[in-house]
Amino acid sequence: MTWLRRPSVQWALGAALGAVFIYASWDKIAEPREFARIVYHYQLAGPSQALGYLPANLLAVTLPWLELVTGALLVVGLWRREAAAVAGLMLVSFIVAVSWALASGIDIANCGCFTVGGSAEGRALGWKLLAGDLALLAVAAFLAAVPPTRTPAAASAGAVAGPSGMAPAQSEPGAPQGVSGEGRELVPDRVVDPAR
Amino acid sequence: MTFRWWRLVAIVTVGLGLGLAWNAWSGRGLALGSNAFVRPGEALEEIEVAEARARLERGALFLDARGIDYYAMGHIPGALPLPEDDFDGAFAKLEATLRKRFDIVVYCSGYGCEASHIVARKLRERGIAAAILREGWPAWTDAGYPVKEGEQP
Repeated sequence: MTWLRRPSVQWALGAALGAVFIYASWDKIAEPREFARIVYHYQLAGPSQALGYLPANLLAVTLPWLELVTGALLVVGLWRREAAAVAGLMLVSFIVAVSWALASGIDIANCGCFTVGGSAEGRALGWKLLAGDLALLAVAAFLAAVPPTRTPAAASAGAVAGPSGMAPAQSEPGAPQGVSGEGRELVPDRVVDPAR
Repeated sequence: MTFRWWRLVAIVTVGLGLGLAWNAWSGRGLALGSNAFVRPGEALEEIEVAEARARLERGALFLDARGIDYYAMGHIPGALPLPEDDFDGAFAKLEATLRKRFDIVVYCSGYGCEASHIVARKLRERGIAAAILREGWPAWTDAGYPVKEGEQP
């Protein structure tokens, strides 16, 4: 399965995932009020007596932009692992919301996934929708967890640029060359991350 | 490509910031405390459950905008079924009654339910004013107010 770690494959996976997120954000950004109505239908973030309208409205106006920013980064290939992680977190929340609505028998004609217009044009909630979300989640989780194989060119570029502030300097000398760098590069992650 | 948590935080922050900025300045945004079920400039009256109870005692006509099965399981005493999913059929039967009444309240199954707003909007388009019970049926039962089961009002 090492071919999955090739930079070109990783870029293609990221671009495909990103394109889905950009497409999903478009209609919601254009029609925030319509998207807010759909958020209400889920009854997860309110509105309710206790919460009022604010949490649901905040979710409705910010989520589409988070989708757009994440999608754009994935398409460009910048900060791919972190953007994929954000996409994964969004997909987990979508899966939870759809499952919850299905389990509690809430009838939502338009899931608000890609379009926010009348109930005639949107997708209804269902198992197909969950399956699609799970497939996207698999891609996002893979991209977040598995970095691409370093090509010699990329490795030397990395050595020139140096660790951008956060990684300790001692991780650098071992990194440069091809296949051997592939195995080693995961190590600094595990050493560094728990400390934060 | 080391995974850096600060980038994840940065992505989320930028996304939220752009969303709030777009909402504030694009001209397409919505007031964050407002109800998105009510369109801008639309004068739909929303009332709380205590006010609804008072209107019921003064003889207001209640309309149940939920599906007919929910109506049969339990409704506000005296309420007539005007389900949003069969508005035209139900309205044809009720029109003569509705045009004689001036104090009408529509309800459905709570905050996440839009049917009462849709029914009130359609009535308004036909020249009939109706208020909306904001929290709907759950608020009525939570308050311990009387309910009636079956298909009769």
